[in-house]
Amino acid sequence: MASDDQPTILVFACNWCSYAGADLAGVSRLEMPPHCQVVRVMCSARVRPEFVIAALSRGLDGVVVLGCHPGDCHYSEGNYYTRRRALLLKGLLEYVGIESERFQLRWISASEGAKFARTITEITDAIKALGPNGWRQPPPEG
Amino acid sequence: MARRRIGVFVCHCGNNIGGVVRVPEVVEYARRLPNVVYAEGSLYACSQEGLSSMKEKIAAYGLNRVVVASCTPRTHETLFRNTCEEAGLNRYLFEFVNIREHCSWIHMHAPDEATEKAKSLIKMGVAKSCYLEPQEELESEVCPEALVIGGGVAGMTAALNLARQGLKVRLVERGKQLGGLLSEVNKLFPANREAKEILDPLVEGVKNHPLVTIYLGSEVESVEGFIGNFKVRIAKVEEEIKVGTVIVATGARELKPIGQYGYPTMANVLTQLELEERLKEGVDEWQSVVMINCVGARVADRSYCGRFCCLVSMKNAILIKEGNPQAKIYILHRDVMASGVEAERYYRRAMELGVRFIRYDPENPPQVLGDGRVEEVKVYHALIGREVILPAQMVVLTTPLVPQADNERLSKMLKVPLGSEGFFLEAHLKLRPIEFATDGVYLCGSARHPSDITESVSQAYAASAKAAIPMREGVVRAEAITAFSQESLCNGCGNCLWVCPFGAIELRDSERRGQVAGVNAALCKGCGCCVAACPNGAMQQRGFSDQQLMTMIEALAEGV
Amino acid sequence: MKNSAVLVIGGGIAGIQASIDLANLGFQVHLVERTPSIGGRMAQLDKTFPTNDCSICILAPKMIECANHERVNLLTYSEVIEVEGQAGDFRVKLLKKPRYVDMNKCTGCGECVERCPRRVPNEFNLFLDRRKAIYLPFPQAVPRKMTIDAQNCLYFLKGRCRLCEEACQAGAIEFEQKEETVELSVGAIILATGFDPYDVSALREYGYGEIENVITGLEFERLISASGPTSGELERPSDEKPPQVIAFIQCVGSRDVNYNPYCSTVCCMHATKEAILAGEHYPDLKSFVFYTDLRAVGKGFQEYVTRAKEEYGVTYIRARPGRITAKNGHPTVWYEETLFKEGEERKVRKMEVDLVILCQALVPHRSHREVAGKVGVELDEVGFIRIPDRLSRPMDTSVEGIFACGFCQSPQDIPDSVIQASGAAARVAELLTPERAGRDG
Repeated sequence: MASDDQPTILVFACNWCSYAGADLAGVSRLEMPPHCQVVRVMCSARVRPEFVIAALSRGLDGVVVLGCHPGDCHYSEGNYYTRRRALLLKGLLEYVGIESERFQLRWISASEGAKFARTITEITDAIKALGPNGWRQPPPEG
Repeated sequence: MARRRIGVFVCHCGNNIGGVVRVPEVVEYARRLPNVVYAEGSLYACSQEGLSSMKEKIAAYGLNRVVVASCTPRTHETLFRNTCEEAGLNRYLFEFVNIREHCSWIHMHAPDEATEKAKSLIKMGVAKSCYLEPQEELESEVCPEALVIGGGVAGMTAALNLARQGLKVRLVERGKQLGGLLSEVNKLFPANREAKEILDPLVEGVKNHPLVTIYLGSEVESVEGFIGNFKVRIAKVEEEIKVGTVIVATGARELKPIGQYGYPTMANVLTQLELEERLKEGVDEWQSVVMINCVGARVADRSYCGRFCCLVSMKNAILIKEGNPQAKIYILHRDVMASGVEAERYYRRAMELGVRFIRYDPENPPQVLGDGRVEEVKVYHALIGREVILPAQMVVLTTPLVPQADNERLSKMLKVPLGSEGFFLEAHLKLRPIEFATDGVYLCGSARHPSDITESVSQAYAASAKAAIPMREGVVRAEAITAFSQESLCNGCGNCLWVCPFGAIELRDSERRGQVAGVNAALCKGCGCCVAACPNGAMQQRGFSDQQLMTMIEALAEGV
Repeated sequence: MKNSAVLVIGGGIAGIQASIDLANLGFQVHLVERTPSIGGRMAQLDKTFPTNDCSICILAPKMIECANHERVNLLTYSEVIEVEGQAGDFRVKLLKKPRYVDMNKCTGCGECVERCPRRVPNEFNLFLDRRKAIYLPFPQAVPRKMTIDAQNCLYFLKGRCRLCEEACQAGAIEFEQKEETVELSVGAIILATGFDPYDVSALREYGYGEIENVITGLEFERLISASGPTSGELERPSDEKPPQVIAFIQCVGSRDVNYNPYCSTVCCMHATKEAILAGEHYPDLKSFVFYTDLRAVGKGFQEYVTRAKEEYGVTYIRARPGRITAKNGHPTVWYEETLFKEGEERKVRKMEVDLVILCQALVPHRSHREVAGKVGVELDEVGFIRIPDRLSRPMDTSVEGIFACGFCQSPQDIPDSVIQASGAAARVAELLTPERAGRDG
């Protein structure tokens, strides 16, 4: 399915803000490139770094985590943890030789349909520019 | 893992999905996925026909997992879960895949890509569904008492209605008296009734009702807990109060347009509420009054319309005119907002009495002129195409209601959102206008959006109905997406406890392992922070476990 | 102990919401709806302002929740014939009109509709297309059961056909079905009978009914709906081509002493919405809205209008056009621009457009007078249900124990109707709950 200009990008969106923002982009019929696939989580803080590493090491071209704006997390603090983990994760990715731009964290509120569309388009373009993910490892046995 | 028998139901949603995504092709694809024993497309999965078919197929094919690919779970998740339950399947053995808002609607000009993406999304959903386990929702009792924050017309109406339904109410008002904004108002349109006529029966009603406890000069300091079980601290009250529901009726305040049109330094330039205060003492014999509407409303930094302020200006204009038929009264406006039957009739009456309506252009606003004291107003009359000079002994500025200064504090305390203009933001603008996304908290009156009395009272009754429902039911069921810890994997590090925003995790002694983490499901809100923090994978979240999410990642990566 | 059953008359969004709230509060609800399905006007809309939600998508779950609720007794295709008694103890007689279809056997499969040879104008689509004599009013109808329109059915008219009976594998067709009278005993009544569009052919100057490409707002909604007569293609009636320039005329029959003096409240917003939808479907299309006062007073409404102007290039012209003429199917709107920049010339202008949408007045439902008469409530001078004390009791009618919510009592949009519906439920709860001193926690 993937080829040079058809990246596959995984997007984690939190239920209360960014998933709703993505819905709004849909309701508003905002066109965007079709390479991003959204997985719903209740809070961006649910996303553990291992998911990002597993996704990238299995050949996905990018992983995006979307959460509520700082201060607006439905669970008060979740997105602060997400932010901290993201910083560490970026460093780790560089260290193991994966372009850290393949992992992105953005804040999208429930009313920001247009921002969702722009964000998806922007990130897709950036990841296309990096080319396909050269790091591919087979999944562990069993 | 026991044998999975997955059924996939792909919805056309009329043209919404079917017009872009090639649904029959997607159904074929789904049919061939591992563990899928049945797949079908339907025109509207959420219709009675779609739902009956689903129930039928669950029985006929012995399905033990159901995947629906249609719109956003935020609309129909409950509906499909109920349908599964009716067919004898645990409601948590159901997975929703969004191929409308997240696919067909955003790739309307790329049907091939949209079709491939739909397949991929469904593949992920099917993979996850393999690892779904049946869940029971936690039931908790609902305390049949409500907290109403705000003792204005909305708060009192809601409180009294609840009390008359036999439910206890705690009514908290930060002022020294009940009444809110209405106590500042003189008379009410359209019949010139005294505000006291509406206010007094409400105040008497709540004071005398045995089920209402009033706290004056008090504020709510903290609210913890969740629907059915809120723990509230009120200023100056010693004991913690337990309530089942909370109604926000904190109202709004009039914008004081400091620095505009000579306010407040020029004499005889006032706001409408300040005029009301003067009118209470009697209608003076003003010879000329100019009212300027939309001051501070429908402008760059405050885009909304104040909704009923046009009617307030008309009301006061009529009162002055009736008191002195010779007076020249002008209302300068940008549109006359008089929707409906009564308001339009009222507008006609104002015109018939001789109140002059002049439309102005916000790019060329009126100028209030005078030396220390207002004398005249210059305005470009858009309908006749030239500037006019109006005599003005008094200028009244019609401003919108704006959010209370402490809305932010309240919003954080109750964990409910504010909209972009600073008023509280309801769960859904169309169909859930007086509920919050947070269960058990409701909203009415100008705290939501500027509302006149009729609207505030209607909303208060509506909030009361919504609040009464869980209190009548007596129980609420929490969505089974809570976290849980597997003792055998836990090493008691306490990371989870440290990150939990709700204090739902405790370390307790275990016979075999020293200290292990335990989750209080009643307090757990299902965010998953703890799961991501757990180094051993001991902590998991129902419906969003590591295994479930990893299998989705693997399914997606397979195609790469 | 007062009777704790409630009658709700009218199955639109207001009636549905009131029924759900009352049922959740523990009351037995009898919801009476004149047509074969609940849903009302909201089912006819494509999207709703200002969220642009797909109307039927947010309505359908409520319809199903209502119909499936164990305490809601849905009586569709039924009407109220008599009401006696007083608050706490009303005795109601209803007429269940015969569908000629056995509701217990009908599966809603639609085979009968396929076979039926008789086509008649489809009222759900504002007569823009046709339905069969045996029909489902719209695809998401609740209950999903067929109805035979006896006035147009070949069997009832001429004693022939019966193809539906042949086609029906469930044996659900019952030509001998008779109307039934149902007697109910209820403690309170809620009216939610909604509205009708005004017949704007009365305004001859606008040419509705004569000029093909002059349509009404509600007709536009059906045209742009994916489930409508043109599957969502905005086609000019004259040549089925998409329009390039469209004009919305506000206040047609509203705010007019010659027709309806009041303001219908929702039209400024629905015109804005329709202009946005047209722009979404056809990015090069130009829309003009001819308005008098742009009444965008609700939450999010001003921002919606700004969006229409800035993102979709909708142009608002303050004018109430005097006349619409036509040349080769192209309507021409004659108007006078009323807002002047200094030095501008005042003159009558004309605009040639491809399609004109008349935002028609919305009037009390045609069944209103009859229902109000039977139930015994007063109407105001324009025919809406009179609310004696709007300030303290905005849902109370002139009769104790009878409440009214939604458009039937005053022009209003969906959020306000839903609010009033829940509010009416609270008033009923107050009325019918026996006095209690208090409960232990």
